[in-house]
Amino acid sequence: MNLTVNGVEHDVASAPLTSLLDVLREELGITSPKAGCEQGGCGACTVLVDGEARRSCLLPVGALDGAEVTTVEGLGTPERLSTVQLAFTHHYAAQCGFCTSGMLLAAHAYVEHGGSDDRAEITEALGGHVCRCTGYVKIIEAVAAAARGDSFDLETTAASPGMTNIGGVR
Amino acid sequence: MKAVGARLPRYDGVEHVTGRTTFVDDVRVPGTLWVKALRSPVHRADVKGLDTSPAESMKGVHAVITWRDVPLLEYGHLSALGIPADEPLLAKDDLRYKGQPIALVAAEDEETAQAAVEAIVLDLDEQEPLLDIRRAFDADAPVIHQWGNWYPHFEAEMDRRQIRKGDVDWAFEHADTVVQGVYRPAAIEHVPLETQVCLVVPEANGRLTIYSCTQALYFSLGVVAAHLQVPLNKLKLVGGTVGGGFGGKVDTATETMCSLLALKSGRPVKWRWTREEEFLCSSTRAPWHMEIADAVTKDGWILGRKMLTLHDSGAYARFSPYGLTKHSFHHTGAYTIPNLSFDGYVVFTNRVPTTAMRGFGVTSVSFATETHMSRIAEVLGLDPYEIRLKNANRIGDTSPNGVVYTDPSTVPTIQAIADAMGRELPADHRTMSRQPREGSLLPEHLVAQLGNPEEH
Repeated sequence: MNLTVNGVEHDVASAPLTSLLDVLREELGITSPKAGCEQGGCGACTVLVDGEARRSCLLPVGALDGAEVTTVEGLGTPERLSTVQLAFTHHYAAQCGFCTSGMLLAAHAYVEHGGSDDRAEITEALGGHVCRCTGYVKIIEAVAAAARGDSFDLETTAASPGMTNIGGVR
Repeated sequence: MKAVGARLPRYDGVEHVTGRTTFVDDVRVPGTLWVKALRSPVHRADVKGLDTSPAESMKGVHAVITWRDVPLLEYGHLSALGIPADEPLLAKDDLRYKGQPIALVAAEDEETAQAAVEAIVLDLDEQEPLLDIRRAFDADAPVIHQWGNWYPHFEAEMDRRQIRKGDVDWAFEHADTVVQGVYRPAAIEHVPLETQVCLVVPEANGRLTIYSCTQALYFSLGVVAAHLQVPLNKLKLVGGTVGGGFGGKVDTATETMCSLLALKSGRPVKWRWTREEEFLCSSTRAPWHMEIADAVTKDGWILGRKMLTLHDSGAYARFSPYGLTKHSFHHTGAYTIPNLSFDGYVVFTNRVPTTAMRGFGVTSVSFATETHMSRIAEVLGLDPYEIRLKNANRIGDTSPNGVVYTDPSTVPTIQAIADAMGRELPADHRTMSRQPREGSLLPEHLVAQLGNPEEH
């Protein structure tokens, strides 16, 4: 069987019941999808399958013959970041980085499907994606900025509305 | 000072969003073996027999280790600070908590490693566990640790962390009322998105390269070297990329065992815990039991505090004596109480060993003291801001362990909280500062505790 991953076609040798996550990480060496729980509970393994955000740890690869898979490596490069990648960098939405790949693909699918900057809608769209570092505020701000089509200057990384200044630092 | 207050890009931000950050599990070394652990299925048992030969003879199994393979079986996480060791790297005579590692297998793939673990024959004599710290002191409680049910090795071989300051009897004789409270925060699992993971590569020059998700690389370096009884220059640790830790990756959970397997098999080995293992077997924030009795006056002064703390260390000491010491130094919170009697115990139970988590030892006591301040205000019918501002630490006040405060932030912090909450403070509270006590804020009972901030 074969898979197209980030535009490149691959013959897959793994057994049909192997999870897409294991195929990507262990057979193809694409390590941005993470094994956070391998039970569909954390969202760290999320990739796009034919444009839809899916949990790769729950997908047997045998059911995906001919599918188009996109991982974070396929969204953009450091020189040409995609909109959600720019937004996550600008708004400090990636902290330890372990949940980031899954968050980005869910966010990308949300924006591509016409999602708005409404906080409740973003929360719903990212439901089930666990982050233990940020408390989600900066992630939601980043997705909202991407949905609005904000432009970003990564040299300065402007203050986001959720960032307070209690210490009085100027 | 251009960086202070500026919005600077994260140095690893672009790596994170392009999937190029290399976490331990992303390191690929050809020929790497998978590791699985045989863990204690019960809370407490004596080990009657352990036969690993069925696992060793399985096809695809390259190494099996037990306590017999560890050059120095017991080494404490705080041995360098003089805190004695109590925990074997792999269980030997008895099992003290559910999930405790007993034997490890390195095999060609995950399935083979798991099958080999299941083939190991373990003969146990199950014992009554101790799971509640309050029961540890009962005469009929099972004794579950070689040192007894609580840690006995504080300074001067005291069995508790004890603080005495001022004259607590005077305080309770002169109180208008006594306000009591019991506070019991529960265990919390850190739940990093990246579970515990380690990769060890045996190099041709006899050294080991250890890829670790630890938060404390030099702790791990010392701990691995001690267990292996090798000089530090035999170990190269690669770390700094942590997929969430929050204190739970301070313990050296995997590195030593993987090093032993790498040496025994001569192959690179990787051990990645499942989410289930992370929940059931990794260390947690400790459960605490705190009892506070405060001698208070009806106008809101706290004359004295008696406090008893039980710190659930789980099955072994690890960092708990250090955590309880921090706790004791902070047991008046951000407030000045001149007369104190504090007793704190590190209590052993048959639960997973507990460890650091965000504000180790202090978060528990902050929860208790702040809740207690509000309780005092409620009992006395006073404003909770007023009672906090009145008793707040000021320059020249002293901490429970006698440190003179030179720049305490309690007053401006409470004023900032009032602002954030939209609370109007009366003029005399609004103009308060951290400056030394005087006038009505320096009653007779607070004079003796004052120190000289210049001498600090």
